[in-house]
Amino acid sequence: MAQTHRLVHLLRIIFAVVGAAVVLFLFLSYSEQIDTPLMDYFTADFFNQTGATNSVAAIYLNYRVFDTLFEALMLMVSVMEVINVSWANKHAEQYRFEEDDFNRKNNSEIVIRMVGIIYPFVLLIGLYIIINGHVSPGGGFQGGAVLATALITRYLVYPNFDLDLHALEIVEKLLFLSIVMTPVLYVFMQLQPADTTLSHQIYMVAMNTLIGMKVFTGLSVIFYRFVFYEGR
Amino acid sequence: MKPLDFITGEIVGILLFFIGLYGLMTKKTIVKTIMSMSIMESGIFLFYITINYTSGSVPPIGQDLSGVNYVDPVPSALMITAIVIGIGVTAIGLTMFMHYKQKHGITHWSRNRNQTGSEH
Repeated sequence: MAQTHRLVHLLRIIFAVVGAAVVLFLFLSYSEQIDTPLMDYFTADFFNQTGATNSVAAIYLNYRVFDTLFEALMLMVSVMEVINVSWANKHAEQYRFEEDDFNRKNNSEIVIRMVGIIYPFVLLIGLYIIINGHVSPGGGFQGGAVLATALITRYLVYPNFDLDLHALEIVEKLLFLSIVMTPVLYVFMQLQPADTTLSHQIYMVAMNTLIGMKVFTGLSVIFYRFVFYEGR
Repeated sequence: MKPLDFITGEIVGILLFFIGLYGLMTKKTIVKTIMSMSIMESGIFLFYITINYTSGSVPPIGQDLSGVNYVDPVPSALMITAIVIGIGVTAIGLTMFMHYKQKHGITHWSRNRNQTGSEH
């Protein structure tokens, strides 16, 4: 029995190594330069067509906006799953929060003081990345993740459960509704003014802000659920 | 070709993918399966964002890109969405794992419920 187990184990290792070797060999030997029609189409005139200086923002907010819509849907579904398919919901009486955990004094003093100094700057850089997402590297997803990091550092300093996760979830659903409605009205139905120079910029900033807020609320809900419900 | 020239993003991405596949095949702990899936995802992200890269190219940011050797923005735009979806998939997997562990006491992909450790 042990002999067969070792043999199967060896077989799996050989399979992984051989698979990697074959794929690497094929990739290195037979990879050819193919044409890039999508790249040429997206980068030909993206500033006049979409108003974004960053061509990545032009792609995920105007040319391929369906990607963004369904990505937001995926994040919302995962947040709903984390909240609803949880063992802690039905057995909440066993999962009462202990007061000692909140007032624990064994946190590192250095971490607490440094995080207190860094905290406003993290918020600032998150908002900067969101607002300037269409003219510089950045965007809604990255800025939202940075903002969620600010909330996680807040947990390190002050591990208290005073957030209303239910309200955050409702805010996330409303944000998803507006994320769907804005491109449907502006890009698909073409409800644009005659001179689109300013309205394109407003659309970019608004969509980046909405996506950033949505990613921020989604990641915060996931993090706080894991910390205060699942980890007990 | 110098030895360091082989360490490109695409090759490291392929290797990461097969490291994750090895973890999926051999480890029977559910948490390690979720970790292996995350490693495979990172390999795919790395492969995609370094695809069609020529050295010396600049980021595709600017009002006029003619005459400049710039990076392909399409894989970056695809991977932005894929990374957030990866976070969602990992969160769903961990929540379902916690549910199974609390309800049935299962931490491994096997019929033996008292199994501990990560051997075979």
